[in-house]
This record gives sequence, structure tokens and C-alpha cells, in this order.
Amino acid sequence: MRIAKIVDPFTAIYLITVFTIAILAVTIAVYYTLKSKRVRITSVYLGGEPENVVSMITPSVGALYWGFMKRFAKHLYEALVEKIHTGSLHDWQKFISSWLAILIIISIISFVLFTLFAR
Amino acid sequence: MNEIILILISILIFPGLLFLVVLSFLTQYAVRKLSARYQRRMGPSYVGPLGILQPFYDFWKLLRSKEIVKNKYSLVSAAEISLLIGISSIVASVVLLPLSLYNIVSDFDILIFFYMASVVPLFMMVIASLSMPGPYTSMGVSRLLSLATLSEPTYFASLIIPVYLATRQSGVFMSISSAYRNVLSIWLDPRGAVIMVLCLIAYIVAVQAKSMYQPFNIPEAEQEIIAGYETEFSGPLLALMNLFHDMDLAVSLIIGVYLLFGGPLPYSHTSPQGILMIIIKYLILLVVVTLIKNIMGRYRIEQGLAQILKYGLVPSIMASILTFLF
Repeated sequence: MRIAKIVDPFTAIYLITVFTIAILAVTIAVYYTLKSKRVRITSVYLGGEPENVVSMITPSVGALYWGFMKRFAKHLYEALVEKIHTGSLHDWQKFISSWLAILIIISIISFVLFTLFAR
Repeated sequence: MNEIILILISILIFPGLLFLVVLSFLTQYAVRKLSARYQRRMGPSYVGPLGILQPFYDFWKLLRSKEIVKNKYSLVSAAEISLLIGISSIVASVVLLPLSLYNIVSDFDILIFFYMASVVPLFMMVIASLSMPGPYTSMGVSRLLSLATLSEPTYFASLIIPVYLATRQSGVFMSISSAYRNVLSIWLDPRGAVIMVLCLIAYIVAVQAKSMYQPFNIPEAEQEIIAGYETEFSGPLLALMNLFHDMDLAVSLIIGVYLLFGGPLPYSHTSPQGILMIIIKYLILLVVVTLIKNIMGRYRIEQGLAQILKYGLVPSIMASILTFLF
């Protein structure tokens, strides 16, 4: 016997959530009944080094961002530093005005096309 | 009343909790045995016939006999509950598959599946790892999140394109159960076949990265950052983490079997040929994943991201563009 129940997306989300809660209740009951109760307390594992070699337990959000930007998106980072944020106000003004010029051109083209061809 | 019994069977026995636990252990056995053969080792051999019960025994030993090792920063219960939520979420998602005895079908159910079987488990894994903090854990988690920024969109695109192609003209729109019936007809159309090949490539790369197998075993990077995101896990918690990982892999492969290879097609679910077809397709995908795992070394994180971008995200974007052109 098999049932294929066609429902709307909201009902599907509701049903799946209820099923998840039911399964969670069962898994919690089974896990906590079966699991070993033995616990050993140690210091933080640092490959033999003392705990004071690390100042932060978790990496900062800034570190993650720069890790991603500087290592993976290296070209994007270089473009940002060398062309936009060079420290020269003149470079910045050139970059922003060139983008503004593109936006103005696109808006003029859109306006002309819309005026000519819109029904 | 019958419907409630069928729901309970579907979520707890087949294809729910019990079935997925057994399938996860068998998948782990196949990966370990095949990997061992590639490396000229015996692999699991002693527990059960041909060592098939070794993953069950390992799980049981970790769960029942081993101790949880914790430090003053550990939040063991938070880690346990996070992993159990992740496992429950994966198990609940299988009622959206045509395999389920009680199959929920709706418009856009692929999005619900993706959320339950991929997004929630990922975040639960991250929360669980950060609940058992340590420097290697943090490093592993940051690598895991970096990989996920590309592997998750790739996985999503590689699955949603076949569903869109298969349901745009007939059936329930963007539904897994409607889509798998039309998958073979997409393969038979030359233009559709090109798109499906691109999706298949992207899917394999994404699954490899999602399951953290070589060359994308960067978050656990053994010998480099100890065990990465799972360094602080031990005893029952490690048993849960292993089960969670294998279950994630098993469900990722099942959805691939349905949406990229048509599940039991050209036979029906209820026929022995259909069941055999699903098993064969599942094993093909598993062997491909294990083969890549064994012939490749580990990338560095930026190399890994570049490879996912090149061989995963770009094919999936090309497939998306072709889909809208045709």
C-alpha cells in the first residue's frame, strides 16, 4: 500500500515540520537511552601545547571574511585595492563617476527604447 | 487510521529512520571496502560476512562503550541535540521522495527537500562543531563554511534544473515525484542530454564537496588540523556525527538516482526490476564518488574553492543558461 498525497506547499512544509519533530522525539529517546554515560574532562586539545597559545577559541567574523577575500577572491581584492581604494580621492572619483556614467547611459537607452517600442 | 500507520511506517521504518540508518552503514561499508581495495588493503573483514557488520559494530561500540571527552568550554548537550535535529531533518525529507510509502507531493517540493536535506543539516553540523570548541574545530568549521558557499549552490542548481525541465510542461510543477518520471525523456532529447551531462558533472563535484571526500576533505584535513570540525567529538557524539555524515551522503545519492537517472525507470517502484535498477544506479554513483576519493589528493582551501567554481558552478550555470535558451 502506498499513498501519494498532493498538497499545497504550505501544507507540505507544515507536514514535514511535524514529521521532523516526531522523528526528533524518537531519536532523542533512543539516543539518550542507549548512549554511554561515561564522561572524561580534559583540557582543550592543542596538540600538546598549553592553553594560552590560543587567545581566541573561535575565529572572528572579520578573520573569516578576510580569509575568503584575500585567498579565494584574490583578483577581486586586488581590483578593489588597486583601482578603487587606492587612497587617492581622484581615483575614487574616477571610478564612481565612470559607473554613474554607465548607469546614466543605460537609463537613457532604456528610456528611448521604452518610448519607441512600448505598447 | 491507516494513513497514520502508513505515516509512522514511512518516517520511522521505511524509507525513514531505520532504513536510512541501515543504508548509511552499508554505504559506509562500501566506501571503506572499495577504498581499501584501491589501496591494496583488506578493509573491514571480520565482523559479519565479509566484514559487512563492521560499521554497525563501530557505531555500537562508540555509542555504548566509549566515553565522551570534554573540556570546560564544551556544550555536549547542544552538540547532541544539533546533530539529532540534523538527522531528523534528513530523515523527514525522504517523505518527499517517490520511494516513500507516504509520499508528500507539492509544487516546489524540491525547495523543501533542499532545505531539509542540505541547508538544515549543514547548519546543524556547524552548530554541533562550534558547541565543542577548540582551535582545530574553528579552523575546520571556517573551511566547511567556505566550501559550502560554492558547493551548496552547485548542488542546488544541479538538482533543480532537471526538475524544472521535467515538470515545466506536465505534472506538479517543480515536484520531485513528478520530475523523475520524465527524466529519461530528457536524456533521450539531444539538447536535454547536454544539459543533463552538465548537471551530472556539477552534481558529482557538489556531492564530493558536501561529503568532504578527497579532494575536498579540507574541513577535516587529517594530519594537518587533526580532524578539523570533528576534532573534539568522541564516544556517542562521534557515533552520531559519523551516522549524520553517512546519512547525508546516502540521501544525496538517492536524490541523484531519482533526478538524474530516473529512479526505477524504465520499470516501476513495485517491480523487482525497478528495485534492482535503483540499487544499481545508487551503486554506480557511490562507486564514482569513492573512485574520485581514492585517486585524488587533498586541495588547499583556495584550490578547492577554485575547482568547485570551475568544475561545479560553471557547468551548472551553463546548464541553467541552456535550459532557458531551449
